[in-house]
Amino acid sequence: MALTDAQRAQLGAIADQLIPAGGGMPSASEAGVAGQYLDEVLTSLPDLGPALETALAAVDGLEPDAALAVLREDPAAWGVLTAVVPGAYFMNPAIRAAIGYPGLERRPIDASAEPDYLQDGLLDSVIARGPVFRPTPTD
Amino acid sequence: MEHDVLIVGAGPSGAITAKRLAEEGFRVLVLEQGDWPDYSKATVHREDFPLTAGRDWGWDPNLRQAPGDYPIDDTESDITALMWNGVGGGTVVYAAQWQRNMPSDFRVKTLDGIADDWPMTYEDLEPYYVRVERDFGISGLANDTAFPPGEGPPLPPVPLGPAGRRVAKAHNDLGWHWWPAPNAIATRDYGGLHACQQVGTCLQACAYGAKGTADLTHWPRALELGVELRTRARVRELIVRPDGLVGGARYIDADGNEQEARAGVTVLAANGVGTPRLLLLSGDSPDGLANSSGMVGKRLMMHPFGTVVGVFDEDFRAWQGPWGQFIHSLEFYETDESRGFVRGAKWGLQPTGGPFSMTSAYPWGAENEIWGEGFQDAVRGRLGHSTMWGIIAEDLPEESNRVVIDRVNRDADGVPGAKIEYRLSENSRRLVEFHQARAKESLLAAGARDVVVAPFIRSTGWHLLGTTVMGTDPATSVVDAQGRCHDVPNLYVFDGSVWPTSAGMNPTATIAALALRFAEQLIETRREQKVAA
Ligand SMILES: Cc1cc2nc3c(=O)[nH]c(=O)nc-3n(C[C@H](O)[C@H](O)[C@H](O)COP(=O)(O)OP(=O)(O)OC[C@H]3O[C@@H](n4cnc5c(N)ncnc54)[C@H](O)[C@@H]3O)c2cc1C
Ligand code: SF4
Repeated sequence: MALTDAQRAQLGAIADQLIPAGGGMPSASEAGVAGQYLDEVLTSLPDLGPALETALAAVDGLEPDAALAVLREDPAAWGVLTAVVPGAYFMNPAIRAAIGYPGLERRPIDASAEPDYLQDGLLDSVIARGPVFRPTPTD
Repeated sequence: MEHDVLIVGAGPSGAITAKRLAEEGFRVLVLEQGDWPDYSKATVHREDFPLTAGRDWGWDPNLRQAPGDYPIDDTESDITALMWNGVGGGTVVYAAQWQRNMPSDFRVKTLDGIADDWPMTYEDLEPYYVRVERDFGISGLANDTAFPPGEGPPLPPVPLGPAGRRVAKAHNDLGWHWWPAPNAIATRDYGGLHACQQVGTCLQACAYGAKGTADLTHWPRALELGVELRTRARVRELIVRPDGLVGGARYIDADGNEQEARAGVTVLAANGVGTPRLLLLSGDSPDGLANSSGMVGKRLMMHPFGTVVGVFDEDFRAWQGPWGQFIHSLEFYETDESRGFVRGAKWGLQPTGGPFSMTSAYPWGAENEIWGEGFQDAVRGRLGHSTMWGIIAEDLPEESNRVVIDRVNRDADGVPGAKIEYRLSENSRRLVEFHQARAKESLLAAGARDVVVAPFIRSTGWHLLGTTVMGTDPATSVVDAQGRCHDVPNLYVFDGSVWPTSAGMNPTATIAALALRFAEQLIETRREQKVAA
C-alpha cells in the first residue's frame, strides 16, 4: 500500500499536532512517522492503509489543527490515527533509545532468591490483623 | 449411540468437564466453533507486536471477526462483551488473575438482603478450588486473610516487584488489606507449563507456555483419554426429541455442511452469551428451550471495571511483569451500607505496558491527555514508572440486563447473532466511584506524584455471567444445583451462565471449580441419569 506524497505530507502535518518536537526529541514527521516507519506499520497491518486513506480524505484541505479536531470526533478515524502515529513513532529505534525502552526482555523468576513478599516482614501486619471476611453460616 | 456426552464449547468449563468425564470412561464429544490458538503469532519480541496483537489476539469478536466468532450487537449496552472463541476459550487471552469468590458471595441474600443466595456455600466449593488450582498450575500464597484458612495453590506467588512492594507498604501504613496475588501463571516449570518469563503479554497470549490456559492444562490430557474434539464446528441448535429430551446438536462444519452430533447427555459450556444464544435458538417455542421460567438470557452481569493509575518517580521497569497482578486488595470488598451502595470490588495491581500503551485509552481513559506539547516528557514520565489498580466491581442481577437473539446480524454460517442489552445500575456507578477514590488514596499513600482515574472504559466486558440462573425453584431459575435444566433432565449448563450473583472477582477460578463439581455430580448420578437413547 503506497500513500501519495501529498497524503504523506498531510499525515505528517497532522501527526506533528499529536507529537511535536520536544524533550530533546524529534517531532512525528521528523522521526519518519509519515515515511519509513509508516511503511513498516502498514506492512505489519495492511488493513490500516485503506482506513487511514479514508480518514485523511475526510479532512483534505483543512489546516492540521482543524483536521485533528474533526478526526477526534470520529471514533474510527481517531482509532486509526492513534494506532498509526505512536505505532510508527515508537518503531523508530532512535526514539526507543531516547525514551529508554529496550523492548520486551525475558526476565525469568529467580527461584533461589528470597521471595520479596517475605522481606522486611512485609506481611506481618496483615497477618496480625486477622481475617477480613465475613464468615457465613455453613448449614 | 456413539457418545455418552456432548459438550458445546472447548473453553475452561468444557475442557474440565471433558477431561474429568473421560477419566471415568465416558465417551465424550466436544464441538467448538473456533480453532486452536496459533502461538506462532505470539511474536512478543517484534517491535510491531503492540500493533499486530490487536489483530491476532483481540478480545472483541465484532472487531476480530475470526472464523469462530459470531456478531454481538452491543449498541444498547454500556459495556461490550469480550471473549476468545476457540480451544482454550477466554483463558487464551485472559490476564490470568485467579480469584476465588469469598464466602459472602454465596450468601448475598442472607447477609445483605439482596438478590439470591447460591444453592451452595464457599465450603462446598473449597475442595474443588484446591483441585482446579493444581490442574491450572496456579501461583499464590495460602492463608490470605480475606479467605477462610486452608490449602492454597501449588506454586509460589509471582514477585511483588518494586511497584507491588511500594503499594503493599502503603497499605500496611493505612491498615488496609493486601496479599501476594493469585495468578494462573506458573512461577516454576509445572506439569506441561514452563516457568514465567515475566514478559507481561498475558493479555495477548503467552509465548512461553507459562500461563495456565485450558488448551495447555487440560486439552492434551483430555485428547489422550479419548475425548473427541471437533473444531470449526458451530452449533446452530440443540436437537429436541418428541419425548422432550435433548438428543444432541446440529452444527455446521468447517466446509459449511450441516452435521448432527448425537449423545445421551448434552452439556453447554459456551459462556454467558453463547449458552443463552443457543437455548434461545433451540426448540419449537418462541421462548427457546429450557425456558419455562422465562429467565434464559436474563440477569446478564459483566462487572463494571475501574482503573486508577499511579505515576511515580521510581523506575519500576513496569512495561512488563507478570500481567497478571502483583498483589490484590480486598479491603473494601464486603458490604458497608454507609457507603451508599451494597457489595464491593476486588483490586488487582498490574503493570501498565510499553510506550504504545502509554498513549492508549486503556488504562488512561478515552481522552488520554498525552498528545501535543510535552508528549515525550509525558511518555518518559509514565513508561516504566507507573502501576495501576484494576477494579472488578460486582454488579447485581437485573432482568432488564440480558442477552437476546439478533435476527439481523448473522455469523458466517448464517446463524443469528446475539444482542446484549445492559445498563449500569446506580449501585454499580456509586460502587465504582467509591472504589476509584479509595484506590487513588492507596497510590498517593504509596508516593505517586500523579494519579489518573480513567473515566469509565466501555470495552471491558470480560466476564459474562448469570444468563441461565441456577436455583432450587423451577419457576424462577433455569438450572438446579447440579447445573441441570429444570425443564430438560438430560441438558446441563456448566459455564458462568449459572451464577446467581456475580461476586466482584475475576470469575474463572469459580467457573472452573463449579464445572469440576458439576462433572463429579454427573459421574455420581450416572446410574439414574435420563439419557437420549
Ligand atoms: C481479554 C480477557 C481477559 C480476561 N481476564 C481474566 C482474568 O484475568 N481472570 C479471570 O478469572 N477471567 C478472565 N477473563 C474471563 C475468562 O476468560 C472467562 O471467565 C472464561 O474463559 C470462561 O470460561 P468458559 O469455559 O465458561 O467460556 P469461554 O472461555 O468463553 O469458552 C466458551 C467456548 O464455547 C465456544 N462456543 C460458544 N458458542 C458455540 C457454538 N454455538 N458452537 C460451538 N462452540 C461454541 C466458544 O467458541 C468458546 O471457545 C478474561 C477474558 C478475556 C476475554
Ligand atoms: S508474563 Fe509470564 S505468563 Fe504472562 S505472557 Fe509473559 S511469560 Fe507468559
